[in-house]
Amino acid sequence: MSHNHIICKNVSFGYDKDHEILHNISFTAGHDDAIGLIGANGVGKSTLLRILVGLEMGFTGEVAIGEIKLTKKTLPRIREKIGYVFQDSENQLFMPTVYEDIAFAPRNYGLDAEQVEERVQHALDLIGIDYLRNKQTYKMSGGEKKLAAIATILAMTPDVILMDEPSIALDPKNRRRLINILNSLDHIKIIASHDLDMVLETCSRVILMSGGRIIADGSARDILTDKALLEANNLELPLCLQGESGTAWRPSPSPEHMHL
Amino acid sequence: MSKISSAIYEVHYMDTIASKDSPIHRIHPLAKLIVTVAYIWFTVSFDKYDVTGLITMVVYPVALFSVSDVSFSHSLKKLRVVLPIILLMGIFNPIFDREPRFLLFGVTVTNGMISGLTLFIKGFFTVIASYLLIATTKIESICYALNILHVPEILVTQILLTYRYITVLLSEANHIFEAYSLRAPLQKGVHHKVLGSLIGQLLFRSIDRASSLYDSMVLRGYNGNFRHSQLPKARRQDYLYPVLWCAVFAVLRYTRITDIIGNLFV
Repeated sequence: MSHNHIICKNVSFGYDKDHEILHNISFTAGHDDAIGLIGANGVGKSTLLRILVGLEMGFTGEVAIGEIKLTKKTLPRIREKIGYVFQDSENQLFMPTVYEDIAFAPRNYGLDAEQVEERVQHALDLIGIDYLRNKQTYKMSGGEKKLAAIATILAMTPDVILMDEPSIALDPKNRRRLINILNSLDHIKIIASHDLDMVLETCSRVILMSGGRIIADGSARDILTDKALLEANNLELPLCLQGESGTAWRPSPSPEHMHL
Repeated sequence: MSKISSAIYEVHYMDTIASKDSPIHRIHPLAKLIVTVAYIWFTVSFDKYDVTGLITMVVYPVALFSVSDVSFSHSLKKLRVVLPIILLMGIFNPIFDREPRFLLFGVTVTNGMISGLTLFIKGFFTVIASYLLIATTKIESICYALNILHVPEILVTQILLTYRYITVLLSEANHIFEAYSLRAPLQKGVHHKVLGSLIGQLLFRSIDRASSLYDSMVLRGYNGNFRHSQLPKARRQDYLYPVLWCAVFAVLRYTRITDIIGNLFV
C-alpha cells in the first residue's frame, strides 16, 4: 500500500507574517509509521496537526496525503483519509448518543443504513466499547469520552490517525487501555503528546519540535533516552527511564520509618 | 445546583425522556408532527366564548401523558416560565369586554372573562402539545420529519444546531460564573462593573467552542447538509395514528360532544 504516506515539505505557517509558528517543517511518514510528536508547550505541535488535516490553510510549502496534494479543492478527499482526535473530547462529541456520533461520518459519506450500522459496530468492537453504544455522551466520564472520540474517527476507516494529547486527563487504567488500543491499530499514527512514557510505548519514531522547527527526527528509543537533547528542549526523560539515571521520583518514607 | 447548571440539566433531561421507549415514542416522528400541528390548529380555531367545547380537547394531552410515560407534574414545573406569559395574553380581556354573559353564584360573568379564559386554555393546550412532541421525539427525528416535509434544509440545520449549541453556551456561561462566584463569595450575582467583560468572555469562548465543534463536523464529512438517521419504514399504526387523531379532533371541534353526552343523562 505505497499510497499510504504523508509528505510534508518545507511547510511554514503563521497567523501574521511577522510571527511564524512553524518554520520549514519537512518530514514523510510511511505505511505503519507510528510517530510521536513531542516538544514543550507552544512549539507548534497542534498547529502542525491542524495543517495536516486542513484546518489551517494559510501555509507555504507542500502537504500531501497519499497522492493527493492538500488544497482547498482536495480537502474533502483528504479528510476522508484522516481521522483527527481532538485534545478535548467535549469538542469532538456533539450528537446525543455514542451511536449517533459514530454514525455521523459514515452517513455524511453517503453510506446506506446497513453499511452505517456495520461501520459503527466495527468501530465499537475495535475500541471495546459496545456497552456505550446507546449511552448519552454528556453522561460519560472523561475516559469514556476519549474512547468514544477515537471510535468516531475509526468509523471513517481512515488511513491516517492524528491525535492531539490523547492521554490527557485519563486515569491510569484508561491510559493503559488507550495505549493498548493505539498499539492494536494498524494505521499511520501521529500522536502529539507530553506523555513521553505513552509515546515510548506506542511510537516507533519521534519528531522533536522546538520553536516551530523540527529539532530531531529518529527512533523513539534514541530520542527519548537522550537526556541532554530532551532537557535542552524543556522536556525530560520519560518517567520509566528516570530511574536509570538516578533521578526517579521516590515516595516519601512511610510513618513507621520516620524518626520524629 | 446553580441556575445555569440546572438549565443544562433541563436540556439533557429533555434528551433523556425523548429517548425513552413507549408506544408514543415508537410512532413515526412525521405522524407525531402532523398530529401536533393539527391539534394546535383545531384548538386555536375554537370560538372565543366556547369554553366547554375547548375543554374537550384535553383528551389529547391526557391520552399522551398516560401512554407516553412523560410526567405531567414535571411538565408543569418545566412550563412554569411560559404559563404567566400565557396568562398575561388574556388578562386584559375582562377589562375591555365587559358585556355580561351569565350569573354564576351571584357573580356576573362577562364576555371578557370567558374570552380571557379560552385564550389561556388555548395557550396552555398548544404549549403542552408542543412539549409532548419534543418530550416523545428526539430533536434529530423532528428535524428528519421536517426534512420529509421539504422544509428548507438551512432552516432544519439551524434548528438542530441551535438546540445543540444551547448546551455549549450554557456550559461556558457556567464555567465563567462559577469561577467568578468562587472569587467573589460575598456578592449576590455579578457586579455591573465586570458584567460587560464577562459577557464578552462568554461570547468569545462560545465562538471558540462552536468553532471547534464545527471543525469536528467538517472533518467527518459535514458539508452543510445534515444527514439524518434513516428511521424504520412507517408501519400501519404510523398511518393510523394521525388519521385517528385528526378524526377525533374534527369530532370534538365540529360536534357539540358535551351537549350530546349531557343529553344522554337528561
